[in-house]
Amino acid sequence: MECGDFGRVLDAYVDDELGPAESASTREHLHACAACRRRLADYESLGRLVRQAPYYTAPARLRAHLSSSQSSEWTVRPLVAWAAAVVLVASLAGSVVFIRSSAPARAPIDSMAEAVVDSHVRALMGEHLFDVRSTDQHTVKPWFLGKLDFAPPVDDLAPLGFPLAGGRLDYVEGRAAAALVYARGQHTINLFIWPDDSATLRRPAARAVRGFRVRHWARGGMSFWAVSDLNDAELDQFTGALQR
Amino acid sequence: MPHVDAAFNYARWLTRSDADAEDLVQDAYVRALRFFSSLRGEDARAWLLTIVRNTWYGRFPRRAGEAVMTVADKDPDRRADASLDPEALLIQQQTVEHVRDALEALPTDFREVLVLRELEGLSYKEIAAVVGIPIGTVMSRLARGRERLVGALAARELSGGDDGMR
Repeated sequence: MECGDFGRVLDAYVDDELGPAESASTREHLHACAACRRRLADYESLGRLVRQAPYYTAPARLRAHLSSSQSSEWTVRPLVAWAAAVVLVASLAGSVVFIRSSAPARAPIDSMAEAVVDSHVRALMGEHLFDVRSTDQHTVKPWFLGKLDFAPPVDDLAPLGFPLAGGRLDYVEGRAAAALVYARGQHTINLFIWPDDSATLRRPAARAVRGFRVRHWARGGMSFWAVSDLNDAELDQFTGALQR
Repeated sequence: MPHVDAAFNYARWLTRSDADAEDLVQDAYVRALRFFSSLRGEDARAWLLTIVRNTWYGRFPRRAGEAVMTVADKDPDRRADASLDPEALLIQQQTVEHVRDALEALPTDFREVLVLRELEGLSYKEIAAVVGIPIGTVMSRLARGRERLVGALAARELSGGDDGMR
C-alpha cells in the first residue's frame, strides 16, 4: 500500500468498515510509515472532537406525548397531508410526480407501491431477507409449497444478469405474499407475488417511492411487484426478462 | 416508546431547533407506529431514523443553498492524500461549543452522515439505508464532511474569536 491508497481508505479504516484483507494491508503500511501514522492520529483526534458534540435526548414532554398517542395509534392524520408528502418526496428523488393537484386522492396502486417499498426496506434492514437461500429455482419454488395457498412462478434470470438469491414469506397490506430475492451486483431486487384475479395490468406500471423504484404488472391471475434501488433502465430490463 | 432519543437527536441536528425537532419526531412516530410490532432492536432504530428523515424532507423540501451537495460528492478537488496538518494542531484547542457550531453550520448532507456515524454510531450500511444513498457515497460524504469540519474549526481558530463562526 502507498500513502495515496491510505488516504482513500482512511475514513473506512477509522470507522472500522474495511474488510480483513484491507485492514491488514493498511496496518502493515501504518507500521512502516510515520507520516500516515500521524495522519491517522489527527483523524482519530478529530473523531473524538466530533463525538463531544451534544447528543440531544428527547425532552420529557415529548416522551409523555408519544406515550399517550401510542394508545390511539390508529387515528391516522388526514390522507391529504401524506399525499402531499409523497409528492414532495417523489419530486426530491428526481422521479416522476404522479400526483399534482392540491388535494389528490391516492390511487390504490400508489398506496400498494408504498407498502411494497416498506416491505423491501424492512427486509433489507431487518436482515430477514431470506427464509430460503438458494440460487436454484428448483429449491426455492418447492419451498413455498404448503406455506402459501398458491404457487408463485420462480424464474432463474442468472443468464440475463439477475441471479436468484432466495425467497421468503412476507405480508403486504395484510395478505400473504411470496417474496423472491434477486441480485444485480450489489443491489437487491424484491419481487412480491400474490394471486389477484382482478389485476389486469399487462404492461408494467412504474412508480418511485422514497428513492426506490417500483414496477407493477399482472399475469396469469397473479399480481407482481418489483422493488429495488436499481436505476430505471436496469429494473425495466429485469421486468422485461420476467415477461418473456 | 423505542429509540425516542435517537430519533430526537437526529431530528434536532436536522432541524437545528428544539421545537421543530419535537414536531418532526411526533409526526414521524405517527407514521412509524404501525410498523413497530414487526421490528426489533437496532433495525427498528435505523428504520425509524429513515422515517424521521423522510418526514423532514417531505415537509421541508431542500432549500436553495443545499441543493449543491450532489455536486460536492463528485468534487474533483478532493485529493486522496490531503493532509489534516497543520489544522490538526489547532483543533486540539476547540471547545464543545465550537464543535457544535461548526457541525451545525455544515450543509445538511455532511452534517447528517457525521451525526449518524459519530453520535449515533451507525454502520455505513445503516447510514446508506437511512439516507438513501450508496455506501460509497456515505464514505465520500464522511470524508468531505470531516475535511470541511476541520477547515471550519481551523478558520475559526485563525479568526480568533466568537464572531468568526456565525
